[in-house]
Amino acid sequence: MNAETGSLVPSFVIFQVGTRRVALPRDCVAEMIASPLLFSFPHTTPVIAGVALRRGRIVPVLDLGPGLLGAPSPTARFFLVVERRISNISERCAIPVQGECELVAGIMFPESGEDEFVIGCLDLNGQQIDVLDLEKAIAAGTRIQEESIPAAEVLS
Amino acid sequence: MTQPASSSLMPRDTRPREQVAVFSIAQYSFVISTASIQEIRSTDGLGGTVVDLDRPVLRKVRHIVERDSRAYYVVSGYEHFHLPASRPTTVLILRNVPVAVLVDKIEEMAEMRVLLALPQSFNGEERAWYRGLTVLERKVLPVANHLGFLTSGELRQLEEQNPGLLQTAAAQRREGGRA
Repeated sequence: MNAETGSLVPSFVIFQVGTRRVALPRDCVAEMIASPLLFSFPHTTPVIAGVALRRGRIVPVLDLGPGLLGAPSPTARFFLVVERRISNISERCAIPVQGECELVAGIMFPESGEDEFVIGCLDLNGQQIDVLDLEKAIAAGTRIQEESIPAAEVLS
Repeated sequence: MTQPASSSLMPRDTRPREQVAVFSIAQYSFVISTASIQEIRSTDGLGGTVVDLDRPVLRKVRHIVERDSRAYYVVSGYEHFHLPASRPTTVLILRNVPVAVLVDKIEEMAEMRVLLALPQSFNGEERAWYRGLTVLERKVLPVANHLGFLTSGELRQLEEQNPGLLQTAAAQRREGGRA
């Protein structure tokens, strides 16, 4: 089966955040872009690393590193542009990714791991790839960053 | 008289324009509408009376400054935006709110042609801090909301803990001027 021919088998985009290879359902992903110019300004929302200007639109850049790895992800050459729905409003965000992305078709198996943001698992030539619930992965990163702020304040 | 051919072919830019001041705090630049600024002064040449708050209930507000018979809460820009301590040299005295903001410096005056909504992904204090984002010289900059430096709740809190101080500071100056 080919993921690009529109078969009934669901397709997924596999990508790498730091050392972890994970996947998102294909319909969450809009495009992959080369590292854009990142603009930052003061804010208090965890996991947002800045914003990029893409075709005249502001695209927030969200780092999945804190949720997936427990630390910010390394510098990225590519960004995956994903579609979020926040309060019934659709919004495109960019996620820094390491290495290349891959579009695959496959069956997702249920996963009962520890990470609440993993909704299933793909078997890719014997390698198990976790499929993410994007919103839960962002929420996990938010929680970790919020917990680390009081600790940092105590240390300072 | 025949108009130059190019003028009729040029599309007229009908986007609303807004005069803005670009200011900086620490390593960041911000934009604020000049319509919301009453006066821009250097911290050295501010003049007027500076009164310490009896009870500084907010970390970012420690003083009141009086200018032209009106008193303003002085908001530290770097404390407001949770930035590392910086060296403010300029005060933005705002219009229609009793707020003066300490900033590092004014970088330039400019014309803002686009105001983009802050993306929904931002869900923290910045939703009150900014009216949105703009693009100046290919840089994305936040547009400060002049009503966001002190929210109505914060103003109420300051007034409750320092009752009448804002009015007293202004009245003292008026009386001093008459004497």
